[in-house]
Amino acid sequence: MDRLRVSDVSAHLQPEHGTLFTRRWFRWSAFAVAGALALAAGLHFRGNGDDAGGTGRGMDAATLFAIAMPDAAGNQQSFGQWQGRVLVVNFWATWCVPCREEMPEFVKVQRELGERGLQFVGVAIDQADKVEAFAAELGLNYPALIGGYGAIELSKTMGNRLGALPFTVIIDRSGRVVHTQLGPIKEAVLRTIVGQLL
Amino acid sequence: MAATVNCALALALLAAMGLSGTADAQSKLLEPERAFAFSVQALDDKTVEARFVIADGYYLYREKMKFDVEPAALAANPVLPEGKLKDDPFFGKVETYRGRFAVKLALDQTDPGRKVTVRAESQGCADAGVCYPPQVQVLTLALPLPGTGPGAPVAATPARKSWFN
Repeated sequence: MDRLRVSDVSAHLQPEHGTLFTRRWFRWSAFAVAGALALAAGLHFRGNGDDAGGTGRGMDAATLFAIAMPDAAGNQQSFGQWQGRVLVVNFWATWCVPCREEMPEFVKVQRELGERGLQFVGVAIDQADKVEAFAAELGLNYPALIGGYGAIELSKTMGNRLGALPFTVIIDRSGRVVHTQLGPIKEAVLRTIVGQLL
Repeated sequence: MAATVNCALALALLAAMGLSGTADAQSKLLEPERAFAFSVQALDDKTVEARFVIADGYYLYREKMKFDVEPAALAANPVLPEGKLKDDPFFGKVETYRGRFAVKLALDQTDPGRKVTVRAESQGCADAGVCYPPQVQVLTLALPLPGTGPGAPVAATPARKSWFN
């Protein structure tokens, strides 16, 4: 939890728009509440917190919202269309077994919480035909975008120091990255974080 | 009394689960070039041996391995050593490498003293639950003169992490 706060503090040192004091105060209290809830739940945030400067937490997802990627059918999909929802962006690939293993859980959570404003978006470092086949097999109920290797670089800008998969980013309704995680995310952790944001 | 002990045990278990090794393993994950350390050595004027030393807890997929040499071409497809059979829930039986393995690359022409570049493509994962995208590692070495024995091993030397980063 200390690490979570450290990276968030560094984010507050960045110049920002708006009334700095109120925004800071608002976020501090939000984080305090989030922290207390997480502690109460006995959960340990298992993000890649070894590099406080590069976890991506606390950063603004504006860069992401300005990006568009093709889906498996070749249609460009802008991330901007999901702005305002609680967004879970999952970088994955069909050749990544731990990625495939956690996706049924995402399908389930999307089905349960989609109506409350939760939106999963998968970014595949993969080929469209393979993504399409796996999406069909799994009954994927959220968009699967084809990111290619460029998406690895995008994930690095969001804190994926090693460029490995799976990598998951949770963004709140105001467009702020509140959690990044390298490696599978536990369903309980996912539900706790997302539950606070919805 | 027994109940107290059980309760303490349960608490300890919960603590162990919450703050478990996975978190530590994830923060200690290696960069791919460290997890899969690549080196080459010319055994003679027309044979190069490519070697991988794989860190504990990491593995490479045999079928994803590709080797290439430039400007000399390979005389034949390299024979990859047998891997360890892994029964994968999605891919069925796949062969993986752990620890270390070496592959002999036979060059189609000999050009003593000439520098050749060896390109190795690999893809692997960590037991901690992450996979690395396919990566290409490139090393250059000089071929020795005939009859002078093997050349010096050449390894990529990833910059050491200093204390401040």
